[in-house]
Amino acid sequence: MTEIMPNITVRGPEAPRNIEALDPVFTVSNLSVFYGDYEAVRGVDLTIGNREITAMIGPSGCGKSTVLRCFNRMNDLIPGARAAGSIMYHGEDLYGDHVDPIEVRRRIGMVFQKPNPFPKSIYDNIAYGPRVNGMKGKMDDLVEQALTQAALWDEVKDKLKQNALSLSGGQQQRLCIARAIAVRPEVILMDEPCSALDPIATTKIEDLMQELSRDYTIVIVTHNMQQAARVSDRTAFFTAEVDEQSVRHGRLVEFDETSRIFTNPSDKRTEDYITGRFG
Amino acid sequence: MAAQHPATAPGTGRSLARSRPRYGEAIIKALLLAAALVSIATTVGIIYSLVEPTIEFFQAVSIGQFFGSTNWGPLIKPATFGVWPIVVATLEITLIAIIVAVPLGLAAAIYLSEYAKPGVRKFFKPVLEILAGVPTVVFGYFALSFLTPLLKDIFPFLNLEAKNALSAGLLVGIMIIPIVASLSEDSMAAVPNGLREGSFALGASKMLTSIRVVVPAAFSGIVAAIILAVSRAAGETMIVAVAGGFKSIFTFDPTNEMATMAAFIAQAGAGDLSTGSIPYKTIFAVGSLLFIITFVMNWFSARMVQKYREVYD
Repeated sequence: MTEIMPNITVRGPEAPRNIEALDPVFTVSNLSVFYGDYEAVRGVDLTIGNREITAMIGPSGCGKSTVLRCFNRMNDLIPGARAAGSIMYHGEDLYGDHVDPIEVRRRIGMVFQKPNPFPKSIYDNIAYGPRVNGMKGKMDDLVEQALTQAALWDEVKDKLKQNALSLSGGQQQRLCIARAIAVRPEVILMDEPCSALDPIATTKIEDLMQELSRDYTIVIVTHNMQQAARVSDRTAFFTAEVDEQSVRHGRLVEFDETSRIFTNPSDKRTEDYITGRFG
Repeated sequence: MAAQHPATAPGTGRSLARSRPRYGEAIIKALLLAAALVSIATTVGIIYSLVEPTIEFFQAVSIGQFFGSTNWGPLIKPATFGVWPIVVATLEITLIAIIVAVPLGLAAAIYLSEYAKPGVRKFFKPVLEILAGVPTVVFGYFALSFLTPLLKDIFPFLNLEAKNALSAGLLVGIMIIPIVASLSEDSMAAVPNGLREGSFALGASKMLTSIRVVVPAAFSGIVAAIILAVSRAAGETMIVAVAGGFKSIFTFDPTNEMATMAAFIAQAGAGDLSTGSIPYKTIFAVGSLLFIITFVMNWFSARMVQKYREVYD
């Protein structure tokens, strides 16, 4: 099938993983997301597997980031945003009345498109989450552990008191990953984490994601198809469709194992997109 | 080399040289520069007009008399020139004002920037700024005829005088709330939303995000707002003249009538002092001191901002 996409390497046999048995962390059924009256995403069904990397790809405006931001209820912060349908998290309704969005966000971490370290020291950036969550234990150890896991410790151990904004863009993004890890989340959501980074920094983050996927469930939104192919176990392809009233809605087109999406997609639109004929 | 420049660009046959002079640009630049110079020239003029009478004042009254005594009565006979009573009154009223304005102003700013829905903010911010437009003499009479009697009823044991530093300070504080609130809100609103999202994504509540991320990130703007408010409070004249009175007795007790430096200047300036007399020159000496005090405060705070501000981007 390589003739479809000669330039894309799929996360290959050197890292074989048994992804047949999908152990669901999130089960999304018929999810629609509204901003006011506008239905930005319509009818998404998706399952996110435990300790897998799930990539969400698609052209701009297809709703992939919107769906991602439902997983930690980040959309709650946007006035007028509302989700319909259901997202079950380990069998518990994420949008149930009893659910505290703050607890959701503590358990489901997020890394953003633009590195957003706080204008504080490197140490305080990592310690912030544990502090606001009242975590016990020696803070120094916690900070070291999180930075080590994010493959940043060796680069910053001698300058923990320095302002985090003195780091390079790639280091800042790894700091943000370390900051997310420090509160010991169960899932890490990444919203185009490499789009503001150069190729070398991107490679580092991708390697880091492979490391982290042993312990964490990762969902990544990316514009970069090669990245999705390189790092993910499963891929969801979204696109924007125009309905009868000429309103655009984000739709999930196809969701499958990454190797199938990139070598033998079942939907024509997926194939067009990944072969560069569209988008 | 210079001689070899072609008169016309190759290809089109038309020169790239300016085809006609642009006088407008030069005129605009000169006008803009003139506008900038007006405020600088005014400042220089103020300093100059303060310096000369001040020097003459200190030729007649020694610095020891000015700073070494606590009796202030340059307008009565025998004249005394110990400046401390009006300095203390100024600092005390400023302190009371800041104690009122910083917590209330910051709380209002956090509410408007972080909690209020857009519609609420759109309504509240202009209303808040109206408070800044109230003539200060109105605040003065409000303090004199409403606040002081009210405080007397509620706290009879304070034995408030009819004019007192407490009422004046409280009203000066209320007067400067809009400065603190409005400028702090501006700088909090300028904090990138990514920082808030980063904090929320770690499971921080709105309150923690506001206090531990937004306020520190906006710190330099908040301090600048407070500095401006302090300067306004220290120089405020009408409220303290109406509600604080003109008596200058050396005391730290804010229930007493106390004249501030600005109140003294207003009082002396309103009288019929003959130009060139020593009491007349006293006005300028006090003015210079007030100028120096606010200048030092501004400078000190600017240093603080440089040192502690959290830079983003």
